[in-house]
Amino acid sequence: MNSMIYKKKTPLLLFLVPAFLFLAAFLFYPFVQNIINTFMKIGGLGRAAEGLNTPWYENYIRLFTDPYMRVAMKNTLVLILCTIVFQVGIALILALLVDGIRVGAQFFRTVYFFPIVISATALGLMFNLIFLYKGGMVNQLLLSLGQLETDVRPNGKVIVYWLDWKDQAHFLFTMLMPVMWQYVGFYFVIIVTGLNNISPDLFEAAALDGADGWNRTRYITLPLLRNVLCTCLVLAITGALKVFDLPWVMFGAGMPENQGWLTGTYMYDQTFNKMNVDYGSTIAVLIVVLGVVLSNISNRVFKPSEDL
Amino acid sequence: MKRILALILAVLMVFALCACGQAQAPAAEAPAAEAPAAEAPAAEEPAAPAAESVTLNVVTSYGGDDGNRANFEAAVKAYEEATGNKVNDGSATSNEEWKAKVLTDFETGSEPDVLFYFTNADAEPFISSGKVVSIEEIRAEYPDYATNMKDSMMAVASDGKQYAVPSSGYWENMFVNKKVLEDCGVAVPGPDYTWDQFLADCQTIKDAGYTPIACSLFEVPHYWFEFLVMNNGTVENHLDIPASVDDETGAKWVAALNDFKALYDAGFFPENTLTASDAETVEMFNQGEAAFLIDGSWKVGYFTGNAADLNDFAIAYVPGKGERSASEAIGGISMGYFITRKAWDDPAKRAAAVAFVSLLTSDEVLSTFVTTEVTALVNGAKPAGLNPLQQSAADTNANITAIAGAVQDLLTAEARGDLFSNIQNVVTGKMTPEDAVASALALN
Repeated sequence: MNSMIYKKKTPLLLFLVPAFLFLAAFLFYPFVQNIINTFMKIGGLGRAAEGLNTPWYENYIRLFTDPYMRVAMKNTLVLILCTIVFQVGIALILALLVDGIRVGAQFFRTVYFFPIVISATALGLMFNLIFLYKGGMVNQLLLSLGQLETDVRPNGKVIVYWLDWKDQAHFLFTMLMPVMWQYVGFYFVIIVTGLNNISPDLFEAAALDGADGWNRTRYITLPLLRNVLCTCLVLAITGALKVFDLPWVMFGAGMPENQGWLTGTYMYDQTFNKMNVDYGSTIAVLIVVLGVVLSNISNRVFKPSEDL
Repeated sequence: MKRILALILAVLMVFALCACGQAQAPAAEAPAAEAPAAEAPAAEEPAAPAAESVTLNVVTSYGGDDGNRANFEAAVKAYEEATGNKVNDGSATSNEEWKAKVLTDFETGSEPDVLFYFTNADAEPFISSGKVVSIEEIRAEYPDYATNMKDSMMAVASDGKQYAVPSSGYWENMFVNKKVLEDCGVAVPGPDYTWDQFLADCQTIKDAGYTPIACSLFEVPHYWFEFLVMNNGTVENHLDIPASVDDETGAKWVAALNDFKALYDAGFFPENTLTASDAETVEMFNQGEAAFLIDGSWKVGYFTGNAADLNDFAIAYVPGKGERSASEAIGGISMGYFITRKAWDDPAKRAAAVAFVSLLTSDEVLSTFVTTEVTALVNGAKPAGLNPLQQSAADTNANITAIAGAVQDLLTAEARGDLFSNIQNVVTGKMTPEDAVASALALN
């Protein structure tokens, strides 16, 4: 009976068409138009193109010669690397630890997932206060521990040499740490779900054979989590390419000294602040190309095992 | 089962179509809400409520936390009560994104009926495409339109016509923290303050453990840029744009950037000036950690609401250098009310739009928007109840001998952004001033 209702495909197609039309209007058409825009000269948002660039591929030349674009690419690749190592790595460790306890597992699941439900803007503002130059939480802590230099002037005024967490020496840590922290919970939940799907019989059998905790993790948990980890890595890599909101709230336009650009923040700045819409479109194309290439590579490198 | 499924699908589809169709409904009713022209109130005197009210779409920069938001709302309410018309207020905070949105609305045919906007080059796209009505054309039908304004102070567009009825203007000058100056034994700068005196004062202030200049070179170097450019030229040639980095004006801009570097190298800006936000450095000044701050008339409202004691602050003068006197400042009237062609051509809205602008720019209403700002009113504004900082600004403005507009307003957004983001590269020696100016000019 159930198989009969799928014999006529027309109703199903009818309901697929609106979604397709929606995507065509709001994804495919803008994407194609965006590629066309990269060859045009557009002096502002909403303004009509003033003709082709000279030469028409001018923006692509600029893309490969723009020093700030190189900075953005370098920072984005560092972000991807950190995402793989720290976001997925920490999430895996936390998931294994939480899976190993009987009491409070649900509590830790909620706690670790919590940052995901807070908006990136709110998190950015919060971390801005934490790393604030004068009187920020971290700097006050360092001051109370005697880790910051102070000086007393002849008039009795005490000078504190606060640590600038956004300067060239520290900005990468200050930018990447909140991003890592925010998404650990997301991968944590995925991995915990994967762990729940592993049959307890396997662990029981291993325990009977004398395997200790490390060996059970090494020879049972990790191999059986391979597919879940592969999914996490692909999501992490493609997600890192799109990171924008939190770094933008904390660092704005390329702070410090134009060394803090990411591909996402640079594209936004060129398009909305500098009104260089055609160049912004070109950066957007690069982000899409990078996303497709990197997700393909990660899919091949971390190919899910068909045996599992 | 198959029939039930087909029925469910059919019902869902009907709901979906209904949902799509309902979005159109209010639009169909909209024209009925707009009154015929004959019943709209007269321009100069908001008349008794019309039989059928008109809904005016108005966009201004009096949105968000603008200091005049409450005054604008009061004026809109007065207009609505006097005329019976409704105002659909689409105001927002003025920034580059807001400017872009307004221009996009004009491009897509969804412009408002009345727009309060910049009167400089930013307005040229919709002026040149004939999307707003000139004051001359409006006066042909409403002879008393904007006659309470000095015509000589109304902005002139590239076609030689005037379009916007000016509102209050702005000034930029130097705020000083008197308490910090007192602690350091430095006098409040007067109208004859020189650059050499300023450098000496900055060193004294720095030695006393305070930051001489509150400024975020990362976020808002433009106030200092304006005055440093004027210090290397004159108030008369301040608005000249270099044709190249090698010409006289280009050399003036290069010298201004060199002054930036000299101040940075001397350690007169905050330690974290390259990573601090404007809010951080302004708060530093407010908390008595810094002595000088260049900002605009709009910042008076901030200190009025946030300073512990307004008597600790004063508006002084930016030190003069070369041919520029400290009594010469940046200022002008940069915004005004436009009536769009769309509203003018709509018989239901023409008189309502004229009445709205007339009320918002009347002597009485404009006086509520003004404390120390310049206006184009023939009779002048009559602000009442000035606080100590506002009084200080009024006293300083009384000694201003000449003003020039901000030269950055004549640059394209891309050139402006490039120039100001490169100032941090110039002060740190990563880029020469010549390269920074050339880079900006190439994008202008």
